Amino acid sequence: MTQESRVQEFVQAFNALRSEIEKVIVGHREIITNVLVGMFAGGHVLLEGVPGLGKTLLIKTLSESLELSFSRIQFTPDLMPADIIGTNIIVEDADGRKHFQFQHGPIFAHIVLADEINRATPKTQSALLEGMQEGSVTVGGVSRPLPAPFFVLATQNPIEMEGTYPLPEAQLDRFLFKLRVRYPAIEELNAIIDRTTQSRAIVVDRVMDGRTVQAFRELVREVPIASHVRDFASNIVMATHPHWADAPEATRRFVRYGASPRAAQALVLGGKVRALAEGRYNVSLDDLRAMAAPALRHRIILNFEGEAEGVDVDSLVAQILERAEATTVQGKEPFVR
Amino acid sequence: MGHPGSVEGLVRQVSRQVRYRRAEHWAMRGAFWGALAAVVVLLAKTLLGTSALPIAAALCLTGAVGGAVYGLAKRVAPVDAARLADRAFGLAERVATALEWARRPDRTPLVDALVADASARVAELPRRGVVDRIVPREGRLLPIPVVVAIALVLAPPVPLPSGRLPDFSSGSEQEEAEDRTGATMMEERARPLARDPLKRPTFEERDFTQRSPAGGGATAGDLSAIFKDTSLATQRPDFNSFLKKGDERLRMLEQVDRLPDLQSDFTTSQYKMIFRKSKALSGGLRPDISPQKLRELLEEMERLGRKGGSWGGDISEGMDALEYGNQDKALEAMEKALNKMRAMEEQQRSGKNLRGGRETQRGGMRGRDGQDGSGGDEQDFGEGEGLLPGKGRSGAPKGEASHRLRASPYDVGVEGQSRKGRKDAYDTNMTGRAGSMNSRLQYLGVIGQYRKMMEDAITREQVPRDYHAQIKDYFQALDER
Repeated sequence: MTQESRVQEFVQAFNALRSEIEKVIVGHREIITNVLVGMFAGGHVLLEGVPGLGKTLLIKTLSESLELSFSRIQFTPDLMPADIIGTNIIVEDADGRKHFQFQHGPIFAHIVLADEINRATPKTQSALLEGMQEGSVTVGGVSRPLPAPFFVLATQNPIEMEGTYPLPEAQLDRFLFKLRVRYPAIEELNAIIDRTTQSRAIVVDRVMDGRTVQAFRELVREVPIASHVRDFASNIVMATHPHWADAPEATRRFVRYGASPRAAQALVLGGKVRALAEGRYNVSLDDLRAMAAPALRHRIILNFEGEAEGVDVDSLVAQILERAEATTVQGKEPFVR
Repeated sequence: MGHPGSVEGLVRQVSRQVRYRRAEHWAMRGAFWGALAAVVVLLAKTLLGTSALPIAAALCLTGAVGGAVYGLAKRVAPVDAARLADRAFGLAERVATALEWARRPDRTPLVDALVADASARVAELPRRGVVDRIVPREGRLLPIPVVVAIALVLAPPVPLPSGRLPDFSSGSEQEEAEDRTGATMMEERARPLARDPLKRPTFEERDFTQRSPAGGGATAGDLSAIFKDTSLATQRPDFNSFLKKGDERLRMLEQVDRLPDLQSDFTTSQYKMIFRKSKALSGGLRPDISPQKLRELLEEMERLGRKGGSWGGDISEGMDALEYGNQDKALEAMEKALNKMRAMEEQQRSGKNLRGGRETQRGGMRGRDGQDGSGGDEQDFGEGEGLLPGKGRSGAPKGEASHRLRASPYDVGVEGQSRKGRKDAYDTNMTGRAGSMNSRLQYLGVIGQYRKMMEDAITREQVPRDYHAQIKDYFQALDER
């Protein structure tokens, strides 16, 4: 199979998967695209939005369109780490001898939906840390690999603060993207009403299996990136740090901690998937621009001033992009002078 | 393995365009400076004669040609040209990436597809210029020296200035010679007066020596007759020095800040001045106190302390803390020094050795108490009056005071300023001697500490977003006080 046909296959699979999800989910095309980008980049995605916007439905539909195991964990304040990972229980064999046997938790699935993740305590939230980063969990000194591909999709509600536990920075950093699910437009709302209040059942076809997803993940990593485009990614991440010499004024004023190197990885990997999805063989500056907000918005920690001023991280990212472009990508007349 | 032949061709083409544009750009700049030099040469046409014109033309030409050569000689990096081509033709970094990755040893299988894709797209591109002409500032100003140069070529030679000041003296050379002799005589006579120009010569001191007729002779209608008995009688008017002195006066008037400020209140005490400066230093919601300014303030306090102040130790402690970058400790030391300065000032103010005051009475009574054993100190004060903070007798059992927020012992009696309007509560420190004093709330230390605690609380604990603005406004209001 030639490289061109591999890429074409990816483009078709990507579009087919998106079409299947769009059978159920009205609008949110960008969110669906970015969820798929996150999945093919090998990362995990956090969806944030007010209740009733279809976050959970989107993830369930994704799992239905893939031939992969799926488990849903409803995060509650009394949920314990063992409820996620699993635990050793005593079982009795045929001879009457008792021994410990590991009871797998719901994390042992290809797609894990961590619904309302901020309702569980940080202790329980941290149960996902090792699995999300290493692809394995350790129980009783034994490390157990998680099935590949392993993909965590978490949802959280930004407005209900009572009885919730905001995700720690370490946990947030492990999500490749944070996507904000916006409220639908009136046309979309009409379409939602039409689709959900009729008796006609919507059937979602399975278009991809786990092996294909893995193969596409490997293909994504082969996409070349020019050095100046890579420099642009680095400059974007560095411009989120208030102590960097070329950081924009807004960063210096409102940011406490900037993005980690994982943000640069997320930018480049997301850019590679986006390039392939458009049938391109290289990462462009536009790919990085498109991935900047999802990759950075949860990794930039505002200081008190920023919180008090109600600074929108997305607008901050826009300023950071401008500065990074000014420092990396030269202007229109770079060589004449 | 695909070869990016057409991609390299495009890069070469763009590089060539960049060179041409650079040549234009630098030629315009060179021509401007050459024309400027030509104008100078043409101004000196009187000296240079007929050779001025060819020299001027040569300068213009040299500037333009030199600039163009420089522009052409500058190197264009292929990667930069590739990026320019990508941007100009909307190729989404295909050219630059293909050019870079085509020769890399770690090339992935997708690079071949990329090179083929980029080559195919480049082959379809129309041939057009992608580098815009950039006219430099010198290029826009170029017509000015050119027009001036042409005007100078056509105009008659400009007379060159002699470099000498106009001679205001009205007289013949003979008079000048006489004046010179008179001036030496006058110099000799004026020497004693020069010691004190304001002191008028007394009658006895006047020089009655015979003057030369040219210097001392006064004719009818001659205004210098009124100076005939003074040294000015023989002096020539010196317009140059007059103008010079006038200039100096004007310059002095412009420097208003150097003139004495007669409106300022010189009764302000040292403590008040330092306190205001320290308060100004820590202004704002998030004061970024400059260590340099803090150091200057500490040095000023140290200077004041040399005249008998007891806060030298605190200042040196603060300076040490500042050396190690511990601003909080330095501020704390400054607070202590300020308190000592205030205490000393109060001592000086109240203890003017005036007998019969309340302090003296109290001291006397205390002395009597010591002898007689009968109490009664507290009876001396009305309701709401009290001693200086930390100096009163405490009803509490002896021992170390409980520390709160690293407070100094001086912090225990915080005094405030009475606000206007009806009071909801009873103000303890608003009457008596404390009432007439300025606020002594230790803003520098206390507000800073509370602000830090608040910021920690905001960032670590979960405070509803709606409260953030309210909290910020509250601390802003505290700062504005």
